[in-house]
Amino acid sequence: MATNVKKKRRINPALLAHGGMDIPFLCFVLALLTIGLIMMFSASYTYCYYNYGGDSLYYFKRQFFFAIVGIIAMFVASKFKVEIYKVAATPLLAVSYLLLVVVLFVSPPPGFEEFHRWITIPGITTFQPSEIAKLAIILYLAMHIGEHYKGINSNEIMQVRNFRMPVRTYCFLLYVAIVGVACVLVYLENHVSGTLLIFALGLMMMWFAGFDYRIFVIGIVLVVAAAVIVVLNPDILPAHAQPRILAWVDKDYDPRGVRWQTNNALYAIGSGGLFGVGLGNSKQKQLYVSEPQNDFIFSIVCEELGVIGAAVIIILFVLLVWRGFYIAIHTKDKFASLLAMGLSFQVGLQASLNIAVVTDVLPNTGISLPFFSYGGTSLMMLLFEMGLILGISRTANIKRS
Amino acid sequence: MPKAKRNQLKNRAIIALLFTCILGFGAGAYGLVNVGLINGEKYKLKAESQQLSDTTVTALRGTIYDANMNVLAQSADAWKIWINPSKISSDEDRQTIAQELSTVLELDYDTVLEKCSRSDYAYVLIKSQVDYDSKTQIIEFRQSHKGYNQIIGTEEDVKRYYPYGKFASSVLGFTGSDDVGLSGLEYFYNDTLTGTQGRLVTAKNAKQIKMSSDYSAYYEAETGLNLQLTIDQVIQYYLDTALEEAVTLNNANYGYGIIMDVETGAILAMSTKPDFDANDPYKVADEVKATELEAIEDPDEKSKATSEARYSQWRNRSICDSYEPGSVYKCITAAAGLEEGVVTPDEMFNCTGSYEVLDRTFHCSHRAGHGVEDFTTSMMNSCNPIFIEVAQRLGADTFYKYFEAFGFAEKTGIDLPAESTPVADVTYHSRKRLNAVAMASSSFGQTFQASPIQIITAINAIANDGKLMQPYVVGSMLDSEGNKVFETKPIQKRQVISKETADILKVMMEKVVSGGTAKNAYVPGYRVAGKTGTSQKLTIGENIYIASFCGFAPADNPRISALIVVDEPKNGSITGGSVAGPVAAEVITNVMKYLNVEPQYTDDELAKLDVKTAKAVGKTVAEAKKELESTGFTVKVIGNGDTVAKQVPAAGQTLPKNGLVVLYTDKDAEPQTVIVPDLTGLTVAEANNTAIACGLNIRRVGYTSAANVTAYKQNVDSGSDAQMGTVITVSFRTEINEED
Repeated sequence: MATNVKKKRRINPALLAHGGMDIPFLCFVLALLTIGLIMMFSASYTYCYYNYGGDSLYYFKRQFFFAIVGIIAMFVASKFKVEIYKVAATPLLAVSYLLLVVVLFVSPPPGFEEFHRWITIPGITTFQPSEIAKLAIILYLAMHIGEHYKGINSNEIMQVRNFRMPVRTYCFLLYVAIVGVACVLVYLENHVSGTLLIFALGLMMMWFAGFDYRIFVIGIVLVVAAAVIVVLNPDILPAHAQPRILAWVDKDYDPRGVRWQTNNALYAIGSGGLFGVGLGNSKQKQLYVSEPQNDFIFSIVCEELGVIGAAVIIILFVLLVWRGFYIAIHTKDKFASLLAMGLSFQVGLQASLNIAVVTDVLPNTGISLPFFSYGGTSLMMLLFEMGLILGISRTANIKRS
Repeated sequence: MPKAKRNQLKNRAIIALLFTCILGFGAGAYGLVNVGLINGEKYKLKAESQQLSDTTVTALRGTIYDANMNVLAQSADAWKIWINPSKISSDEDRQTIAQELSTVLELDYDTVLEKCSRSDYAYVLIKSQVDYDSKTQIIEFRQSHKGYNQIIGTEEDVKRYYPYGKFASSVLGFTGSDDVGLSGLEYFYNDTLTGTQGRLVTAKNAKQIKMSSDYSAYYEAETGLNLQLTIDQVIQYYLDTALEEAVTLNNANYGYGIIMDVETGAILAMSTKPDFDANDPYKVADEVKATELEAIEDPDEKSKATSEARYSQWRNRSICDSYEPGSVYKCITAAAGLEEGVVTPDEMFNCTGSYEVLDRTFHCSHRAGHGVEDFTTSMMNSCNPIFIEVAQRLGADTFYKYFEAFGFAEKTGIDLPAESTPVADVTYHSRKRLNAVAMASSSFGQTFQASPIQIITAINAIANDGKLMQPYVVGSMLDSEGNKVFETKPIQKRQVISKETADILKVMMEKVVSGGTAKNAYVPGYRVAGKTGTSQKLTIGENIYIASFCGFAPADNPRISALIVVDEPKNGSITGGSVAGPVAAEVITNVMKYLNVEPQYTDDELAKLDVKTAKAVGKTVAEAKKELESTGFTVKVIGNGDTVAKQVPAAGQTLPKNGLVVLYTDKDAEPQTVIVPDLTGLTVAEANNTAIACGLNIRRVGYTSAANVTAYKQNVDSGSDAQMGTVITVSFRTEINEED
C-alpha cells in the first residue's frame, strides 16, 4: 500500500539532515508569512475588484496557493543535508546566465516595453531571471568560498595553466567576473535596482570570504561617490531611471506621474499615524497607491496598522536576519555558514531597501518586500531559501533550551 | 591559524549584520517615523483632500409667494450636462455626440463640437439648468452607445422658475446659475431663502467611485425659508398692465408705480416697465432695444451696450431712481403750512403769475396768473406763487423740519436692495444751504431729488392720519411646513402732522382730483385724492419731462396710496394730469373693486350712472321690449319668434342710458356683426352716439365729467368685427395743461 510505495522510494538517509530545526527562525518566517499574506489580501482586494471583474480574492487565492506550495518546499528543502546543493551550484549559475541572456530577447509584457525583466511561461507563471541569478550567485560563491576559504585567507599560491598566482587573487578575479557579468546582463534588462542588489550580494559574499577590508572600504567609498554623482547628474543614467532620481530630489516633480506612487505611499503612512486606521480600512489602497499589493505594500501596512504595526514588522525582519546569521555563525561547515549568511542578508537587504524606498528615504526602485509583495514564484523561492537555512540550522551547534 | 583569523568569519558576519540592521533598517525606521509621525498630519491632510469628495447638498431655495400664497418664484431640480472630451477617441463619435447634444439642448452645433475637441480636458460643461426631459433624453442616448457612459456626465443642479415671467420681475429679481440671488428680493433675502446647504462627505477612490458607506458623513440641508410678500398678484397685475399701456401710449422711456397699503406701509404692488423675464434675465426683453443691439457690429461696443441694456432693465426704478417730485411736493408744503398754522384752506391769495424771491422771479405754470383764489383752489390749480409764499411764511428751519420729517432726507428703509440714498447738498438742500431761493423752488418740488418710494411714503403719511410708515415688501417668512416663523410688524417711524391737519389735506387733495389738475384720476364713487406733478429733467435737458400722480383713495377713509410715474412721455401730452392721472384712475378703480370697497356716489354721480340691462331671455318679445325701453335702452329684435332666446349684451351689463340691446328669438340665429368704428378723439356723447349708430355700446372709463373730455383708447380695435350690441370699453381723459 502507500507505506510500501513510500518505502520503495525512500531517500538515502545519508542525504538527510538530522537534528531539529531552529524553532525561533521558523517562527519568524511563519509570522512574517502570515502577516504578509493577510496584508497582501487587504492591500489587493480593491485593486482586484476593479481589475479582475469584481474578484477581490484574485491575488489572494494565487498567493495563498503559492504560499502552501512554498511551505511544503521549505520543509522538504530543510530535510536534506545542505551539502547536496553544492552539486546544483554550477549548473544553476550556468542556467541563470542563460536565462539572463534569453530574457533580453523575450518581448516584455505590454506597458513595460523598455524593461526586459520577465520571462512568461504561458499559463503557468511569470518570473524574473534576476531572482534566480541572485540565488545562483549566493549558492555558487558560498560553495567556491567554502572550498577556498583557507586559500583566500593565507598566502597560498596556485597554478592556473601557466600562471602562478595567489589563490586570493585568483578567487577575487573570478568572483568579480561572475558578479560583474551578472550585473552587466541585469543592467541590460534596464533593471538598475536588480543590478545593485546583485552587486551588493556579491560584495557581501566577498566580504565574508575575507578579502582585505580595505578593498571594501574603497568599494563603499566608490559606491557612495557614484551615488552622489548620479544624484547630481541623473542624465548619465538610462532614460527610464532618470525621472526616478529627479523625482526623489525634487518632491514636486511630476506629481501625477513619476511621484504619484511615492506621494500616495506617504499619504498612506501619514494617514495611518501611530496606531493605524485598522486592518482593512486603508483608503489609499482604493486605487490611489498604484499596485498596492506590490512594491508599495508596506505603505498600506503602515496605514492600516500604524507606525507601531510597521515597527513590529521591521523588528520581525531584524530578528529573522539576526537568527539567520546566528545559525550561520554556529555552523561549522563554511559552505552552509556562508549560504545561510548570504540568504539572510538578501532578505534583510531587500526588506530594508524596500522600506527605505516606500518612506522616500531612497529613490523609487522596483524592489519587492519579502513575504508581503505579491508574486507567487518569488514567494515560493523565498520559502525554499528559508528552507535551506532551516536545513542548515539542523546541523548548527545551537544550544536549545 | 591565529585566533583573529579563526574568528574572522564570525566577526565579519557580525559587522554585516550590524551594517544591515543599523544602516538598512535604520534608514527604513527613520523614514517611517519621519513620514508616519513627524510629518504625518501633513500627509494625512493631503490624503483626505484627495479621497474625500465634499458634495454640497443644495437646500432648495425658498419659494416666494404673493400675499395670497400664489407662487411667484420657485426652485426645482435641474441638471448640468458635461462631457469628458479626453475619452472621445474618434471624429465620428465627436460628431455624433455634438449632434445629439446640440439638438437636445438647443445649442449651436459648432460650439459643442469645439468643446468635444478639447481632448486635453476631462470636464467641459455643456449646459447647466437642463430640465428633466432633456436630461432623460441624453441619458438614453448615452446608454444606447457603447463607451459613451465615460464621455457624457450629468450633475445635479437647480433652476429657479418664475411662473409669471415678467411679473414684478424688478421687485423679485433673479438668481444666477449658482442659485444665488443677484438682484431684487432674491438678492436682499438671499440668506433667508438659501437656508443652510447640507454636505455629503464621501470617500472616493482614485477612479472617483464611492468607497463603502462607512466613509461617508451626511450633514442635512436646511431648506431656506419661504417669503410671503405683501404684493398682491391681482393688484400687481392691474398696475403692470396699466403702466405697460401708459408707456406705449405715451411713447415714454419708462413707467413705474407703487401701490401701498395706507395703514401699514405694506407694498401691494410695485412695477417698472419695461422690465424683463426673470426666467431669462440676460435676454434684453425690449424688442426694439434688442434689434438695435443686434445691429451693432463692433463686438466690444455691442457687449458694452448689451450689458448696459441688461442693467437698465433689471433696475427697480421705483427704488433706485430719483427725480424732482414737482408739484406733488406741494402736499408736503401745504401740510407744513397747515400744521404750523401759517395758512388755512380758505385763506385768500392773489396769484399774479409770478413771485419774486431775492433776485429770482418764479413763474406760475399759468403765466397770466390765477388771480384771487383761496388756498384750496391754489392747490387745485397747482399754483406755484402761493406755495412759495407759504414756504416763506414757514421759514427755512420749519420748512426743513417738515422736509426731513416726511422722510426726504433719508432712505425709507424698504426691504429691497439699492434704494437710492439722499445725499445732503447733492440730491437735496441741507438746512445750511437752504436759502430763500432754494426754499422757494423746493416748495413746489424742484431743485431736489426724491425716489418714488420716498414720495409715496410721504404722501401715504397724509392718508394715514399723519403717521409715517416704513414701507416693506415681505409680510412674513414661512418654513417648509408653512409655519410662520417671522411676521413683519408695521413700523411707524413718526407722526409728522396731526390727524386734524391730515384730514384737512385729504379734503383738499380730493378736490384736486374732483376739480383740479388731477381730474383724470377721478373715479366716480371712490373719492380719489391726490396731486399731480410735472417736472422737467433739467439735468438732462429742456422739454424732457416726468409726469406723475400720487394720491390715495377713498379720501375719507384711505385704503391704498398710489404713485404713478411716466418717465419722458413723448406723445404730445406731457403733464402729470394728462399722462399719469388716467393711469391712476384705471388702477385705483380696479383695485377698489378688487378690495371690495363699497362705492359712495354723490347725487350728481348717480344721475350720470349707467344702467344695468334687465333679463330678457325667456320673456315674450313685447314684454322684454317694454321693460328695456322703459329704462331708456334702444331695442332691436332679430327673428320672428314670440319669446326671447338670446340677448346681447347679456343681462346685468351696465350700459349708458340710451344703450342698445339686441334680442334674438331664435337661439341658433346667426349673430349679426358690425365693424367697430374708431372712437378715439371723440367726446363722451360723440363716442356714445357713434357706437349706437353702428349697433354697438360703450362703457365709459376714466374722467368723463367735463365738456372737453376725449376718448384716448378703446378695448376693441377699430376695424375689427364685433357682434351687434357688444359693449366696448372706452377710456376718456381731459387735457390738463398745467405743467405743475
